[in-house]
Amino acid sequence: MNFGNLKSKSKENILIRNGCIINPKAQEKYKADILVLDGIIKEIKKNITCESADNIQEINAEGLYVCPGFVDMHVHLREPGNEEEEDIESGAKSALRGGITSMACMPNTLPVIDSCYLVEYIKMKAREIDYNVYPVAAITKSLKGEELSEIGLLVNSGAVAFSDDGKGVQNSRLMYEAMRYGKQFDALFILHEEDDNFSNGGIVNEGYYSAILGLEGISNLSEDLMVQRDIMLSKISGARIHITHVSSARSVELIYGAKADGVNITCDTACEYLFFNDSILTNYDTNFKIKPPIRSESDRLAIVEGLRNGTIDAIASDHAPHLLLEKNKSFKEASFGSVGLETLFKASLTKLFYEENLSLEKIVALISLNPAKILNIEGGELKTGSIANISVVDIESENIYSKDSIISKSKNSSFIGQKLNGEIMYTIVNGKSGFSNS
Amino acid sequence: MNKKKDILSLDEFGVEQISELLVQTDSFAEILKRDVKKVPALRGKTIINLFFEYSTRTKVSFELAAKRLSADLINFNASSSSLNKGESEIDTIQTINSMKNDLIIIRHGDSGYINYFAKNVAVPIVNAGDGKHEHPTQALLDLYTIYKNFESLTGLKIAIVGDILNSRVARSNIKLFGKMGMDVTVVAPSMLMPENFAGFNTKFANNIDEVIGDIDVLYMLRMQFERQERKYYPSLKEYNRFLSLNLARFNSMKKNSIVMHPGPVNRGIEISGEVMDIKISNTDKIKINTQVSNGVAVRMALLYYALS
Repeated sequence: MNFGNLKSKSKENILIRNGCIINPKAQEKYKADILVLDGIIKEIKKNITCESADNIQEINAEGLYVCPGFVDMHVHLREPGNEEEEDIESGAKSALRGGITSMACMPNTLPVIDSCYLVEYIKMKAREIDYNVYPVAAITKSLKGEELSEIGLLVNSGAVAFSDDGKGVQNSRLMYEAMRYGKQFDALFILHEEDDNFSNGGIVNEGYYSAILGLEGISNLSEDLMVQRDIMLSKISGARIHITHVSSARSVELIYGAKADGVNITCDTACEYLFFNDSILTNYDTNFKIKPPIRSESDRLAIVEGLRNGTIDAIASDHAPHLLLEKNKSFKEASFGSVGLETLFKASLTKLFYEENLSLEKIVALISLNPAKILNIEGGELKTGSIANISVVDIESENIYSKDSIISKSKNSSFIGQKLNGEIMYTIVNGKSGFSNS
Repeated sequence: MNKKKDILSLDEFGVEQISELLVQTDSFAEILKRDVKKVPALRGKTIINLFFEYSTRTKVSFELAAKRLSADLINFNASSSSLNKGESEIDTIQTINSMKNDLIIIRHGDSGYINYFAKNVAVPIVNAGDGKHEHPTQALLDLYTIYKNFESLTGLKIAIVGDILNSRVARSNIKLFGKMGMDVTVVAPSMLMPENFAGFNTKFANNIDEVIGDIDVLYMLRMQFERQERKYYPSLKEYNRFLSLNLARFNSMKKNSIVMHPGPVNRGIEISGEVMDIKISNTDKIKINTQVSNGVAVRMALLYYALS
């Protein structure tokens, strides 16, 4: 297993032979080779013959699937401020390990990404390692939910979207003004939906398991009420909204209705919500303490159905690194969140392909094309002439996910000990080898 | 994995095993009636009494139980410990684990903390109450008290009244009483009951008057003001009207029924002063002090079980 030299600027010549190409846009797959010259996809066809064969790295992808590089639209990189948990470079490595070539990072850093110089800083750090990081800026200054950030200036600096992720915007009027103003710049709002009055003090899903375990619950209403509110505000303001980490059945239903009603809305869920239900809480493993909480089985089934019928557009990792110190505590005291870049594809494949019979093309769309379209960024497609961002995956392998295998600086994964299918074999980012699993 | 005998909850104990524990408790209760209330059963064993949360009766009860079995007991108060000097809980646990004791009794304010603790130490752990989760020794002493009074358990009607949401006593008792074939009704207003309580397989009532004339055991819970993170109950006046045990309600109870409470009682809240005043003279009906006495015998039985 090795990682490419991220800081090198030189592009590579790569020929991927005999793989099965996944095209999420056309929802098709076919056998072909892909030729990358000087970092650019030159050809996608069967039996490519190449004249200048000396400096071409050849990858034998027989039996493997060749996908557009994955796009993770919800990641916490902890830089600036908490680099001991993760930084942009370590996050990028973790992402490459997971086949992810582009990611949007959330603004709840120290300081909060609510001003242009911080957006520039993230972009500069990403350029240094030639990785695609798209900064999301805060909706409100310091995520306090009191005053709007400089939305116009932040759009100009390259903020890909706006979010107060980690918190919901409690003040409905402020959220409304944010949307009306954001609409002027065609800004995208990525909304963490949480009504604090229903979640304060809560640590797990309000349900049977919170009742017997004596853990303070967070009702689905905490999410559902805010989803309902923001659908209404978006309908009136016309702003583009994206509900992130949808966890509850009723929220899926509300979003389904809003889409039918023509509201400018999309949404994602995170792997935990399609993989687990709250019965896993019984051993008080703090790696399952996340927000929104892992919900009941009926919620999980609704999430899977939402993915199947297209109500849910994307799957994100909500990669939230925490030091062991923050997790090796009582359930009440432990921090919320789990890492997920390295399991985004595997967890989705395991549950959706092997158990729920979603097609591979569909799953790849959920983690590449769709989030790229929502964020309005490059990626999600393999086409000639564009820079090579490619994930080559094996779907046959099956392993128990282990803590030791985690590349991220933080090891707080919910999937430790789970049987996961699939493996990332190669990741090509911006025309260079980023990760190779050989 | 290790085979240490943790007592984190009574879930792992079957009906047979619990019945056996009740019978064994009799022999420990007999010791407590002797002039010399001490046996050498656990001589040479060291027990740590580790209380991260304030307690009087449970702590003293465990201390008496350990000493009457001739174990050496060390009290550890989190309030005067290194936790206040900035040592993290995991390091405190490892420090205590390094001291080579034989058993640790723990109380902690967070649900599930003791499960976490048990994973990190080599010796048996006895749960003396964790957050809102479990209080297994209280449940067993309550069961023992009922068993001594009625001599059988199956079919007995019990109502558990009060702040179910925040009560570890309620959670442990509901499970244990149900397991032993008792007919359990939970009495609480909506905001003092978990939203999804159906899984416990009990009956429900919102008002004490719905059950008072029909039950064999009235189990009043402490109104846990200190454990309520979300306060929605309107007032004490409202509580008294719908949920408290006052004299009129007390007098309307069945002839052979009993009243229990895990203590400490908030006089005038869950039980009126008038009713509390007759508890000394009427020990046949009000079993609150009997529960405390039985607690020592039950804990002796459990410590003996965990270390033998």
